[in-house]
Amino acid sequence: MTRFEPKIIAFLCNWCSYVAADAAGVSRFVQKPNVRVIRVFCSGMVDPSYVIKAFASGADGVLVAGCHPGDCHYLAGNIKALRRSFLLRKLLSELGVEGKRFRLEWIAASESPLYAKLMNEMIEDVRNLGPCMRSSQKPLKGVA
Amino acid sequence: MPKKKLAVYTATGCAACENTILDIHYDLGSLTRSADIVFWPYVLGSQWDGLNEQGPVDVCFFAGAIRTEADRIAAVRLRSNSKFMVACGACAAFGGLPSLTDIHPGTPENRPEHLDEGNEFLLPKLESRVFALEHIVDVDYFVPGCPPTRDFLWAAIQSLVYMGDSPARMSFAASRLPMALAESITSGIVPPRGSVFAGEKAVCASCSRIKEEKKFRGFYRPYQIDPDSGRCLLEQGLLCQGLATREGCGGLCTAVGAACRGCFGKAEAVFDPGAKMVSAVSSTFDSTEASEIEGLTKTFVDLAGTFYRYTLATQCALKTPNAEETKHAPDNS
Repeated sequence: MTRFEPKIIAFLCNWCSYVAADAAGVSRFVQKPNVRVIRVFCSGMVDPSYVIKAFASGADGVLVAGCHPGDCHYLAGNIKALRRSFLLRKLLSELGVEGKRFRLEWIAASESPLYAKLMNEMIEDVRNLGPCMRSSQKPLKGVA
Repeated sequence: MPKKKLAVYTATGCAACENTILDIHYDLGSLTRSADIVFWPYVLGSQWDGLNEQGPVDVCFFAGAIRTEADRIAAVRLRSNSKFMVACGACAAFGGLPSLTDIHPGTPENRPEHLDEGNEFLLPKLESRVFALEHIVDVDYFVPGCPPTRDFLWAAIQSLVYMGDSPARMSFAASRLPMALAESITSGIVPPRGSVFAGEKAVCASCSRIKEEKKFRGFYRPYQIDPDSGRCLLEQGLLCQGLATREGCGGLCTAVGAACRGCFGKAEAVFDPGAKMVSAVSSTFDSTEASEIEGLTKTFVDLAGTFYRYTLATQCALKTPNAEETKHAPDNS
């Protein structure tokens, strides 16, 4: 049987985490190829409906990454992301999406090794959990 | 004008929607002058055999969710007999309260057994999950609400039964409906298929409470506080779903201090009511400390059951049935 390859959607903030992901590639850190990156301008703009839509459309894990608290390009966007994350994780777990499938991380522009490490770690975590309930789902229509 | 034929039926539900039809009071009398209610088991004791003798029905008001095989058969049968199928009430339109069972569906072993042929009374078989009417058959119109408000139901009945024949009735109905719907019925055109007989914005738009800056310091269940009369309920710590819910009720619940429960389904612009509520509620947390926010979050109970109370089967993006489970399934007859 072929090994389960999870699909991870990563929402990366333009100013820190995306730069880190970019640098991780340039620096040739070993990264597993299960991640689909979506660049956003701030982790604070990742509405819970984006995350839910990702899971509903067949993602097995979702990562939201932003600047460290205090470093936000827009002053406090990452704090907004932090505030939402707890209630969102609780709602997801009630709907059958395990807590480990949704992660919020702070990755600064200079932390490309951390990015590669976190991603590899998360891919393995999600691989161990198995496919998310919606893995066979076709992409959803509608604006999140 | 020949008399129209109406059918009313409740599948898995409480029949409150049917009571709302009775609740149009004297207008029921004027309705029966231009329409015959040919099938209404709850009130008239109609039998299924009688439905065949009546021939095609013009408008069928179908209430209740599809939970059992009997519900599915009833839905398919009424659909094939009716010109317009109206999903009446939150259960038929969105799955309603019965669909909450799908949060914890249980295992095949603990589902009740279908009794064998030897028994005198057979229980209908359970479906694999709870469906809304639109999952099983094509639905023409939706009248949301638990139960639907009298005005909208009466507006729906008038616009489908009279269809432009009575300008006075049309203008009554039009004054209560969103503009696009109102324009089509006043000009004697049947509203577009899939129209929802309710407002378009969120309940907050018609709620009279004063909304100031929202700062959430704690979550309360309804019995724990006596809310101030003029202020937004969400600001006071009640989980009011008005901001994610379609308006049309006129803020009936919020006017008397009860938080909105979301029975009209999500507002047009909302993707997923739960996500919207998570976003709205957590953005009002008055803290920037992770541990403090986590503590606040722990005070919430049953988020899924609260945010998707009436809409789990159709509007919860993570729980809606996929194509194999719905009407395209091969077992659909």
